[in-house]
Amino acid sequence: MPEGKLLHSVRVNKDKCIGCGKCMRACPTKAIRVRPQKASINYERCIDCGECLRGCPNDAIEPIITSSADINKFKYQVAIPSPVIYSQFGPQTMPNEILSALKEIGFDYVYDEALICEMQSMVIEEYLDKNKSPRPIISSTCPVVARLIQRLFPCLCELIIPIEPPREIAAKILRKEISEEQNIPEEEIGIIEITPCAAKMVSINQPETMEKSHLDGAIPIKDIYNKVMMILKKEKQTLMLQEQGPISGIGIGWAISGGEIRGLKYHQSASVSGVYDTIKILEEVESGKLKDIEYLECLSCPDGCIGGPLTVESRFIAKSNIIKLSRIYGNKKRVDSNRVKRLYKEDFFSFESEVKPKPFKPLDKDRSQAIKKMNLKQELFEKLPKRDCGICGAPDCATFAEDVAQGKAKLEDCIFIKK
Amino acid sequence: MKGQIDKITDSEVLFEQEFKINGGDFINAGESSSKLKNILKEIGINTDIIRRLAIAAYEAEVNVVTYARHGIMRILIYPEKILLTIEDEGPGIGDIDQAMQPGYSTATEEIREMGFGAGMGLPNMKKNADIFNISSIVDKGTKLEITMNLNDKNA
Ligand SMILES: Nc1ncnc2c1ncn2[C@@H]1O[C@H](COP(=O)(O)OP(=O)(O)O)[C@@H](O)[C@H]1O
Ligand code: SF4
Ligand code: SF4
Ligand SMILES: [Mg+2]
Repeated sequence: MPEGKLLHSVRVNKDKCIGCGKCMRACPTKAIRVRPQKASINYERCIDCGECLRGCPNDAIEPIITSSADINKFKYQVAIPSPVIYSQFGPQTMPNEILSALKEIGFDYVYDEALICEMQSMVIEEYLDKNKSPRPIISSTCPVVARLIQRLFPCLCELIIPIEPPREIAAKILRKEISEEQNIPEEEIGIIEITPCAAKMVSINQPETMEKSHLDGAIPIKDIYNKVMMILKKEKQTLMLQEQGPISGIGIGWAISGGEIRGLKYHQSASVSGVYDTIKILEEVESGKLKDIEYLECLSCPDGCIGGPLTVESRFIAKSNIIKLSRIYGNKKRVDSNRVKRLYKEDFFSFESEVKPKPFKPLDKDRSQAIKKMNLKQELFEKLPKRDCGICGAPDCATFAEDVAQGKAKLEDCIFIKK
Repeated sequence: MKGQIDKITDSEVLFEQEFKINGGDFINAGESSSKLKNILKEIGINTDIIRRLAIAAYEAEVNVVTYARHGIMRILIYPEKILLTIEDEGPGIGDIDQAMQPGYSTATEEIREMGFGAGMGLPNMKKNADIFNISSIVDKGTKLEITMNLNDKNA
């Protein structure tokens, strides 16, 4: 994919940006500069984590969203809500009410993604049993983490479990089932995820491990929130009575950090959430420090997907709601393990192609030039006050030194340098 | 700057940097190898070389922290190779052949509980390095030299 074509999930609204630099400081890959006066994103370094969006006090960082109008071109419309949705409407609202309300909005079919999450736990266990490849195996669920590994930790690409995440598996299963049961051509079925993050939209529009995503798009939880809330308020009684099929307690837990590994009974595993802690743990993996951990769940958002930037409920309340629901729905298995084993043997869950390393560009294409620039960068850095004030328009002195070494900024842009 | 002085005496050294390692500082064990890794990434060194060097550097750093009083990690980049040296002042190693045995360790129970001391550090360094040299004087210190070739076909 040519660099210029990389799709992204955030943009700066220059009219709203006041140039305070909070997004710039929040960005873990140093993709943002405030130069001159307004923030701008270097998309080549953006991993779609949404930290800038969280950090901006002026709503000047906007998510780029796949228009939901696209769904209308399909005859049969299916919604797969992320289990995060169950945490958004208060502790008294049960999953089947939310699924029913989604149907009222106009979807022909609504499917509980949590069921597939439960299935996924079995698939991961199966993979860990059958593969003795280097450890730790890293989860493929969060597209930001996959991107982070490709860019910042390219040699860890081979540790990502080569199994598609639940949203893709759900869409793959549903398209086939609906087409067969209802006699509708596969291409006339539109399947969208209701998502807590814009990163998933990018992964649908630009999948890394297959030719084309099984999903046709995604709608933010934020965008359907009001509609669902209205229906829940008006029709609580009738919604409660509608049966929407089995709900998976194990799968619901996937909405919070640790949910994915909770289903792994026989393997040493660990979970990490938040982009900075994820970077920290991947550093440790890279040093060979974590060999005793067999499976590593990393989610880029704080506390997991309930901390996604396109959610509505505060993540603390959302977490409490998920914990409550997990308790109510319990650990009872809803998924037929023989079916999972059979599908596993058929490679049904596998990536079509592996995650390829896409390291950030070095300081220069030519190694000796790159080393020259590194020497220059370090020399310049020594001249700087190391206060990381950000007035120069770069997030910290080291990054500013790099910009100057690259010819992208002038040393005099630093207010501490005597002119 | 040190790098520039060296450039005059040894025209071949393209880049040089030193990192201090403090014995007993388990909290910061791994910092130096982490900084080193980021420099190599920015320079655009092949990812497989970075992976192997990162593992070797980390193990060497942990050994200084665990066994020695203090040490210096030094990276030298030449056009055709990377040389990483780790020199420490400490108890040294009496029987190097024995220390190189996979699983051999004199680490205490406390150190094992911190997740170190599996006896695989030195063997892993050797496995990941293109050339590995170790020398040691008892009661003085230990010196490791790890070389990575840059101009192999996939470097
Ligand atoms: N820098 C050092 N100074 C003194 N002794 C060392 C040093 N590095 C290694 N050793 C000795 O060699 C042994 C094996 O080292 P290593 O293979 O790294 O395993 P481990 O550190 O897990 O014991 C150590 O237990 C220690 O006795
Ligand atoms: S989405 Fe993340 S990586 Fe991209 S610009 Fe914002 S903070 Fe940086
Ligand atoms: S943690 Fe979940 S919500 Fe956040 S970016 Fe990753 S997949 Fe999206
Ligand atoms: Mg050791």
